[in-house]
Amino acid sequence: MNPQIQKLLGKNGEWLASTGPESAVVVSSRVRLARNLADFPFMTKAGRSQRAELHRLCREQLLSMPSPRPFFYIDMEKTDQVDRQLMVERHLISKQHASGDGSRGVAVSDDEAFSIMVNEEDHIRLQVIRSGLQLRECWREADTLDNALGQHLRYAFSDRFGFLTACPTNLGTGMRVSVMLHLPALKLTGEIEKVFVAAKDMHLAVRGLFGEGTEAIGDFYQISNQTTLGRSEEEILAEFADVILPRLIAAELSARSVLEQERPLMLDDKIGRAVGLLRNARLLSSEEALFGLSHLRLGVAMGRVANLTMPTINRIFLTTQPGHFQRTLGQPLDGDARKAARASYVRQLMTPSGG
Amino acid sequence: MKCDRCNKPATIHFTEVRDGKSLELHLCGECAAESGYVQQAHLTMNEMLNEFVKAKTGMSNRDALVCPDCGMKWQEFKDTGLLGCPKDYAVFSDQLRGVIENAQHGATHHTGKTPAAAVAPEDSVKLRQAELSRLKKDLTKALERESYEVAATLRDQIKTLEAALPPGR
Repeated sequence: MNPQIQKLLGKNGEWLASTGPESAVVVSSRVRLARNLADFPFMTKAGRSQRAELHRLCREQLLSMPSPRPFFYIDMEKTDQVDRQLMVERHLISKQHASGDGSRGVAVSDDEAFSIMVNEEDHIRLQVIRSGLQLRECWREADTLDNALGQHLRYAFSDRFGFLTACPTNLGTGMRVSVMLHLPALKLTGEIEKVFVAAKDMHLAVRGLFGEGTEAIGDFYQISNQTTLGRSEEEILAEFADVILPRLIAAELSARSVLEQERPLMLDDKIGRAVGLLRNARLLSSEEALFGLSHLRLGVAMGRVANLTMPTINRIFLTTQPGHFQRTLGQPLDGDARKAARASYVRQLMTPSGG
Repeated sequence: MKCDRCNKPATIHFTEVRDGKSLELHLCGECAAESGYVQQAHLTMNEMLNEFVKAKTGMSNRDALVCPDCGMKWQEFKDTGLLGCPKDYAVFSDQLRGVIENAQHGATHHTGKTPAAAVAPEDSVKLRQAELSRLKKDLTKALERESYEVAATLRDQIKTLEAALPPGR
């Protein structure tokens, strides 16, 4: 196991800190920039030696750039499967970066607030994550990092199309703004479909927990802008942070108060069952754990669960993911043995004051 | 995002609600037209000519276009949704126009930031120092393999850089 990754495991990481604004609904905010070097082909046409040279160049620039916070660099080819999975679960790299091949790497800040993938779909994929609703803070830091890198790397850029990317869907700003929302009450009141329809109307993409191509599990949804060309970064951010998100947050909060006033029994039943599941299950899959945690999170956010805090829930959330759990166990377990170990592990964390 | 039915970039996204269950669909223009979800947009003059050539020769001249730099073929892009190099945006500009407008909901021009050009003084010192240490490493390597010409050039570069750095460093 990579010692740098090992150091991360004791903490929840920035995106699961639950300390940011609006964290009852907004789990985390993220801004991602896609960049490519002008003098190289995109990844689809980069041969082995070009890939290696790209990697060397970007890594060198990364390691010498003035950075707002300390970071380390990981060579993906020298990283084992479980460590890669851990980084996916911590939202530091994409699934694609974990399962890909060839020379590639990632720079990760010690506090996990930023990560910069090298040789993913684009040469550089830079992301900044904050807990809660902090999109402008994310953008400011992403902009700073981008400037630091762009001083010595010549980016592929055209006046007309902006930053040139391997896929035209990222063209222009190369910026994807996204938030992880927890929308359990809208699901319970059956209004979640309306959110999807409205999101589509506003040109937003709705995705699951781990981004592109993943399902929404446990009422966690990742919402992001779909267009990257034609509007400035500030305009994209302003619409997202000042228009779209306040509406979504208000909708979820109003659904919560409707439940509280009109269907308190049903609400407490859902929460109580989740507590029951997590405290008493003897065989627990990671999906089941997530479903339980979703209602538990709702209960804690609404002050309807005693003796449990958001950090504890986030801890369980992260450590029951397959990669993290395997690391915690220290050995690969299969089937029921694994489910049994997960159940017993969750029971321990769910017991107040470790007693 | 790729089309649910083929691998081209999805440009049309919608949620279909059937029996109270929602189904997300992401399709490219062609698949959407084929499935009857949307009407095929009008053919441009270019596309009409292209269809004509295709009908006559069995091959489209657009599909045969190749980027001289990276070797990317238009057909390849249609299959994967990914371009081969920055120059492709110029080589395939005609073909890409519609793709970009679809993907970007009609937008055609960038209005956001431009790459950092000016170097702030304190950053420039750091970057020069980084450059300096890289040159010194290269010099050691050059001497190890007895490439004296390379070493001489590197030594000159190092001297120039050191002269440019503020004194006392």
